[in-house]
Amino acid sequence: MQTEVFQRGAVGRMRVHVLPTTRFKTFSLSLFAGVPLEESRVTPVALVPFVLRRGTRSYPETIQFRERLDELYGAGFGFDIYKRGDYQIVQFRLDIINDAFVSSSQSLLEEALRFLGEALTEPALESGAFTAKYVESEKTTVQKRIESIINDKIRYAAERCLEEMCRNEPYRLLALGRKEELPHITPASLYESYRKWLDEAVFDLYVSGDTSLEQVSAWAGQYFKLPDGQPGTYSAAEIKPASEAPRTVVERLDVGQGKLNLGLRTGIAYSDDRYPDLLVYNGILGAFPHSKLFIHVREKASLAYYASSRLDGHKGLLTIQSGIEIANYERALDIIREQLDEMRAGNIEEQELSKTKAMLVNQLREIQDSAFERIAFDYNGVVSGKQRSADELIAAIESVTADKAAAIAGNVGLDTIYFLRDLKEEAAHVQA
Amino acid sequence: MSKLDYPKLQETLYREVLDNGLEVFVLPKPGFTKTYATFTTKYGSVDNHFRPEGQEARAVPDGIAHFLEHKMFEEPEGDVFSRFAEQGASANAFTSFDRTSYLFSTAGEPLESLDTLLDFVQNPYFTDENVEKEKGIIVQEINMYKDNADWRVYFGLIEALYAKHPVHIDIAGTEQSVRSITKEQLYDCYRTFYHPSNMTLFVVGGIDPEETLVRVRRNQARKTFAPGGEIERLFEVEPSGVREARRVVKLPVSLPKCMIGFKESGPFPEGEEGIRRELAAKLMLDVLIGSSSPVYQLLYDDNLISDSFGHEYNTGPGYAFTVIGGDTRDPDELLARVVAAIDEAIRDGLPQASFERTRAKKIGAYLRMLNSPEAIAGEFTRYRFKGGDLFDVVRLYESITLEDVHERLRLLADTGRRSVCIVRSDTE
Repeated sequence: MQTEVFQRGAVGRMRVHVLPTTRFKTFSLSLFAGVPLEESRVTPVALVPFVLRRGTRSYPETIQFRERLDELYGAGFGFDIYKRGDYQIVQFRLDIINDAFVSSSQSLLEEALRFLGEALTEPALESGAFTAKYVESEKTTVQKRIESIINDKIRYAAERCLEEMCRNEPYRLLALGRKEELPHITPASLYESYRKWLDEAVFDLYVSGDTSLEQVSAWAGQYFKLPDGQPGTYSAAEIKPASEAPRTVVERLDVGQGKLNLGLRTGIAYSDDRYPDLLVYNGILGAFPHSKLFIHVREKASLAYYASSRLDGHKGLLTIQSGIEIANYERALDIIREQLDEMRAGNIEEQELSKTKAMLVNQLREIQDSAFERIAFDYNGVVSGKQRSADELIAAIESVTADKAAAIAGNVGLDTIYFLRDLKEEAAHVQA
Repeated sequence: MSKLDYPKLQETLYREVLDNGLEVFVLPKPGFTKTYATFTTKYGSVDNHFRPEGQEARAVPDGIAHFLEHKMFEEPEGDVFSRFAEQGASANAFTSFDRTSYLFSTAGEPLESLDTLLDFVQNPYFTDENVEKEKGIIVQEINMYKDNADWRVYFGLIEALYAKHPVHIDIAGTEQSVRSITKEQLYDCYRTFYHPSNMTLFVVGGIDPEETLVRVRRNQARKTFAPGGEIERLFEVEPSGVREARRVVKLPVSLPKCMIGFKESGPFPEGEEGIRRELAAKLMLDVLIGSSSPVYQLLYDDNLISDSFGHEYNTGPGYAFTVIGGDTRDPDELLARVVAAIDEAIRDGLPQASFERTRAKKIGAYLRMLNSPEAIAGEFTRYRFKGGDLFDVVRLYESITLEDVHERLRLLADTGRRSVCIVRSDTE
């Protein structure tokens, strides 16, 4: 199916992955840096990219930094911080026009790598530390980001459910870090954390576009001033079994709609040979509009607008989410549990299985048409230590039987029931 | 079938208008695995008062276009999502102010899914029972948005800006209006607005244009449609001033949300002139207050804005407005500073260099957008319904002058056409 493949090499501590292709009008760059997710460093690591985007050695003022991106034909620059397995990942992205479409005298890919390399490894400094005003300002930004999670009740309920389920492990932490930690961070301490992060993180640089591994490696070696060494590796995440009996957590806020979120543990991660079975299990249960949750909670009972399940394959967690009338808590929970029981009993129709497989295969095929999605998919293999091509994963999905998907149910344990509801005491009877 | 070449963009577009009036576009993307198609009717939430040719005018309940979108997915033999799933295609739909779009995406057999798309949208199946059942689902959708602060501040602002124009009405309607909808009303709206002559099909991806058009022609030839008449869309006269200068909504948020709106008065030209105005307005906003402007940086340094701060220009039949805002510790100070920045820019003019740089950035962003079949299909149809051409955007950008941008800027000066909407946890 796929015609283009990643070419791989390394420049010092950074692995380099290049996808030569002429299908897109752009060069797409992603730089991933991962360190173990730990309470002691989660906050400074999260803050670092916020400060890095404020200025570099050549563009010390933020406005210069942004104008430079505008000059590069509005190159799209962004970053993200998230959890993958037991790691905290910082990802930088840069999307820039292929020179062929504009009258540019310089190689835009070279300029993009120069810019990204400098942003990562040569930040704006003052007296041997980060620029103080940037650190202070970005501490406020991160604090506001963390506090703003509550503004989106769907996201808030999802984060809270995860936090409750993983309350005894680092995975409870937000990828953005801990708000309480921010006031203790200084320009000097953050610069020290940053140097340590550069020394310890696992780096992967991805480039997709009309180029080659040799070309990218040459420029990356020139513009990424990383400490010497060999590329690092990721190790497998710790996968925990579900608690004996599910724990229920009810939280009250001034909301109109209730959010019912369930946290489950599957005991199976991305690198496991049963991962394709788990994908099919999740698909039949709740990933699609033909799935059991959508059909029974929404279409048959009219209880919700959304009712779905989602898999966090790197940590072996499965979550179920739905927005419901508060008084319908018991009914919705009963219907959801019935669907889990149906999966366990192996009550899976041939149609459910075939549709789910067709949808999963389609998703994997569609990835091929987006440079950033191809990069993300490939990086899943790097971070999990299990490289599977899309074709291999498709073949594995095709061979999953109803029995195999049902067998997964034996592994899936309900761990946490989280319900976000209103402040009215008399409205409904909820057993806390 | 006509062929339109855009050599600078390295794109070729095929177009055909079928006998029944349906306009079909095919954009082949050689090497692409997937195909993405949208089937769109020029019918959205603002079309709540209309007169089909030769009939009486009628007003329909708020939210009916969106309700219709939900109900189209139900067929006598069941849910159409299932049929798409069998084909390994994912389907969806959305309703906006001025259009309703049905779509699918597949890396499987695209022509089969194309038939499914055309067939389900052209086969309404409403019963008293299935209409009643849908109400519970839509009410939960409305309730979900009620708890969403970003949605509330945005729609609160439009409500403050507009007194009569139906753009101020929530796309999904209210619980009450949704509860009142009947299957007869749904059929009536369907017959009026889902005639092929009021619709556009756009297909993009790894497909052959000739094969695709043959399939669409054959599909349409199997069906008969009454001749499509003119639809008269009725709008009350909208006052030029705003309905309310200030609106405050109480909702638990970590920081207040503040959006400032600027309403334009007509006329609102269609076609190239309309598109050019829209592009000039967006360019102006980016130069004035975009993330690489000095004003943005000062507001950020003063902790008045965060990364959520942004701007938008929205225009459709009979309306056009600008929105500036985001999360802020102090809505009133933010309002004062934004207004001062506008006044200063009107007085001193925007710098030529920023204008040039921002224009290059906009063209770059546009070219990057052409990597995405989803974005192309959505934007192409939007431009088409306005009488414009998405693939002509670079030429239009190049034709915009600093004076055009200043002209758009001056429209933001009128205080009588300005509203602010604030969402905060306390309303004292």
